[in-house]
Amino acid sequence: MNTLRYGFRLLLRDWRAGELRLLATALVLAVTAITAVAWLADRVSLATETRAAELLGADRALVGNDPLPERFEALARVQGLAVARTLQFPSVVLTEERTQLVAVRAVDANYPLRGSLQVADHADGDAENTTATPARGEVWAEARLLIQLDIAVGDRIELGEEEFVVSRVLMLEPSLGGGFQNLAPRLLMHLDDVQATGLVQEASRVTYRLLVAGDNAAVNQWQTRVQPELDESIGLEAPGEGQPAVEQVLDAAKRFLGLSALLTVVVGGVAMLLTIRHYATRHLDRVAVMRCLGATERQIASMLTWKMVLLGLITAAVGSLLGYLVHLLMLSLLADLLPGLPAASWRPAAVGLLAAQVILLGFALPTILRLRRVPPLRVLRRDLGDQLFRGWGVYPVALGAIFMLMWWQAQDLLLALYVFAAVLGTLAVLALGAGLIILLLRRGRPAGASGLLLAGLVRRPWTNTFQIMALGLGLMALLLLSVVRQDLLNTWQDRVPDDAPNYFLINIQPEEADALQALLDDQGLDTRVYPMVRARLVGINDRDVRPSDYQEPRTRRLVAREFNLSWLEALPEDNHLVAGRWWGNAERPEPQFSVEVELAERLGVGVGDELHFDAGGQRYSAPVTSLREVQWDSFNVNFFVAASPGVLDAAPATYITSFHLPRDQQRLLAQVVREYPSVTLIDVSTILDTVRSIMAQGARVVELMALLTLLSGLVVLFAALQVTREERQFESALLRSLGGRRALIRRLAATEFLLLGGAAGLLAGGGAAVAGYVMGNLLFQLEYAFNPWLPVLGVLVGALVVAGAGLLATRRLYRITPMRLLKSAEEG
Amino acid sequence: MMFRGPDGDIRLFRDLNLEIRGGETVAILGASGSGKSTLLGLLAGLDVPSEGRVLLVGTDLTALDEDRRAMLRGRELGFVFQAFHLLSGFTALENVMLPLELAGERQAESRARAALDQVGLSQRTGHYPQQLSGGEQQRVAIARAFVTRPRVLLADEPTGNLDRNTGHRVQDLLFQLNALHGTTLVLVTHDPELARRCQRVLNLENGHLVAA
Repeated sequence: MNTLRYGFRLLLRDWRAGELRLLATALVLAVTAITAVAWLADRVSLATETRAAELLGADRALVGNDPLPERFEALARVQGLAVARTLQFPSVVLTEERTQLVAVRAVDANYPLRGSLQVADHADGDAENTTATPARGEVWAEARLLIQLDIAVGDRIELGEEEFVVSRVLMLEPSLGGGFQNLAPRLLMHLDDVQATGLVQEASRVTYRLLVAGDNAAVNQWQTRVQPELDESIGLEAPGEGQPAVEQVLDAAKRFLGLSALLTVVVGGVAMLLTIRHYATRHLDRVAVMRCLGATERQIASMLTWKMVLLGLITAAVGSLLGYLVHLLMLSLLADLLPGLPAASWRPAAVGLLAAQVILLGFALPTILRLRRVPPLRVLRRDLGDQLFRGWGVYPVALGAIFMLMWWQAQDLLLALYVFAAVLGTLAVLALGAGLIILLLRRGRPAGASGLLLAGLVRRPWTNTFQIMALGLGLMALLLLSVVRQDLLNTWQDRVPDDAPNYFLINIQPEEADALQALLDDQGLDTRVYPMVRARLVGINDRDVRPSDYQEPRTRRLVAREFNLSWLEALPEDNHLVAGRWWGNAERPEPQFSVEVELAERLGVGVGDELHFDAGGQRYSAPVTSLREVQWDSFNVNFFVAASPGVLDAAPATYITSFHLPRDQQRLLAQVVREYPSVTLIDVSTILDTVRSIMAQGARVVELMALLTLLSGLVVLFAALQVTREERQFESALLRSLGGRRALIRRLAATEFLLLGGAAGLLAGGGAAVAGYVMGNLLFQLEYAFNPWLPVLGVLVGALVVAGAGLLATRRLYRITPMRLLKSAEEG
Repeated sequence: MMFRGPDGDIRLFRDLNLEIRGGETVAILGASGSGKSTLLGLLAGLDVPSEGRVLLVGTDLTALDEDRRAMLRGRELGFVFQAFHLLSGFTALENVMLPLELAGERQAESRARAALDQVGLSQRTGHYPQQLSGGEQQRVAIARAFVTRPRVLLADEPTGNLDRNTGHRVQDLLFQLNALHGTTLVLVTHDPELARRCQRVLNLENGHLVAA
């Protein structure tokens, strides 16, 4: 017998009879959530993988904060490699009226060696590929810069001491580097024009790159020759290593979204567990007849398995299609952050396919397969086989399936275990809360007509506990991601005082420091100009320090980079000592360092340890005599490591300052930039706005995921309604035949749904408030208070959503006559 | 003969010895609750007695496992039930094809069409059970029962759910086809009139079978 064909026929039959709708919906939602994330992640990582070389603009690059030695370039030319040089630095452009922070990249005519630039003739023009670069006297600017400055192609801008014509719009450029430079609009200029602008001076924040490209063997040969000569100050970049920070963030986001997609799977799984037993029960008779007509257990199992596999294929196809659409929606929400992604691949559809089968295998098949044991005698005695689905045996399989999915999604056993435990814990707490509410209602239920209003809820305690739990999970996810997120953000913003500095000036040359301080004083700005020395940590006590000494990636990067050191006389107001003693007000105290406490922990140093720094080839050493706690989000200038006056006198320094400039004094900025062209102005409020908008965009994507979870929660409600449908039908008909009016019955049902939704919302709101409190205080160290409105909001939202959906799903029950109801209830 | 019921072993039948020869038609009469259906189930191998033996065309059913009994049923037995037991969502043709396909028969469709033609439903092959009248449904069930050319046909109150007129016509059809195929018929009923159409009528009373 062709069991595949029979499986398909059974599937069609079930679909026509409407018996698969809930199961299929739960499955489709789960696949939608998983594939949407998979598609998003796939395209983002495709972008980083396939265009890694293009992103770098080369096959290899040397990177440093000082001009790179000529010999590396000469070596590349000997190997027959193509070579290009670039310079990157933040600066400010000026027009008559406006100023704007930009990320400047100066390139020579060979740039880029790999990939191409995309440019347009005007801001709304079509992008075309080019390997040309700006001619001298011209710059290419990103479209948003034109908007911010209110200029068009052909207009002139000031950059440092020079004027330039904006000749084209830069749509896409091999991109490099992290930090705030990514947030500022980009400006491309000719390398030979840099000198004349006067923007690059000693100790300026500049990144130098030497790009090389050519055939593989030559590139590798060059790398082997160059590598031994590199010291800590020069890095070698290969495609794919260019953006560690961005990659890490994307990777974390991918995992987080993946795991939140699994929340939809968990809730959908609850819906399936609820509905599958009911569904299987309806098939007892059919399987019994087949057994009677000669079907073997194997034939039955094979048919049913095929049926489920086919169901999995169909729902995976639909879910993947929806997932694709949802990912497009997510991409449109993230458009500003992820420009120009490559075309989607088919891989996520395969992921959806596999996930659907695993979910079915875990949640449906174990129950379905029990059908093969239906006693054939059931054709004569209807009561046989009803016990078939009793017992808890199916749950371990379901939990196992969920855990496997989590492990696969997290790619990390420990993380998977944590999330699994958290989800189970939350479910357990929700279930406990739900059970408690029902128990209380049962105890406190008044006699008479008002008691009747509660009857529905207390009579089906198990189903209702399940429903409250699953709906609660969906609602909780939504509340967490909307209300709590906003709360936390507001709490954080409240910490930043209104007169917090909104501008930073960096790269102030030593000879400019006094004059600039005077200028700011004249404007009535309360500020201080601090010296800043860029130095690398080279030793702690007697040992040398290398990035590879540390496990933690962030510490490694800290050690690899140059620190900004300063010297201070007095302890700043927003710092306070947690260990050791400040050096007091002596004119020339003993040489000593004060270290920010978190950095000290990362480096493993404490009071009494001796630190050795290297700045410009000179070694500066002193013992640590105090540890400071710093309130970084005060936006004042602060330093990880501060030296006592005198220690760094010989080191090359630039100066830095921050100040709060009211809106009506903005003209000062243009004056500063004109008089001090090498000084870099950083507009913190713009950066803050950008960070806020990134968070908002990211949050909307996560909210989309939460919405899918909530939809799954509603499927649970419908599933529970379906399971209790016959009971409801019968009760409703009975009440009506006993004289109950339709309005009364509807009111009973409405009360039940309102209570159900209210209970789920109460738990969800409470849970979200607790989770928010814990996250705020433990994770983000914010003084976030328990939000008492969350449970109230939860009750309202829950009651409305559940009552609306519940009444919609059961409206047919109250329309037909009691006679027909009783009859159809009998038939099942 | 002992029979395992939901509350442990119960002795439902006493000294029950029944031998039915090939081609014979036998009716078992009994009030509801007398155990007729249980007896039928045991004869069909749908269940096995915890004590005693059932032999079907020379094979001891009690010595076979459930799957072997199922295969034997598919080969040697046909069923007609009071509740028809057609599969909803399957057309009349598909319902009749089912036992053939379960047995791996290649000519399933043409044989099923022929069987439906024999019961006068060649025009209704594509209809689903819910589109057919009760009489038509039972005729489909009869076609399904005969399509495998079984040696034994078991019928459980075959006209119990039908009105009198329809019931008569279905009875006629059942006996005609039985005669045509030379099938052994065992019929369980509480309707004496239907029972009288069989060659042998037995009464099931208090676990004893007695000739009427």
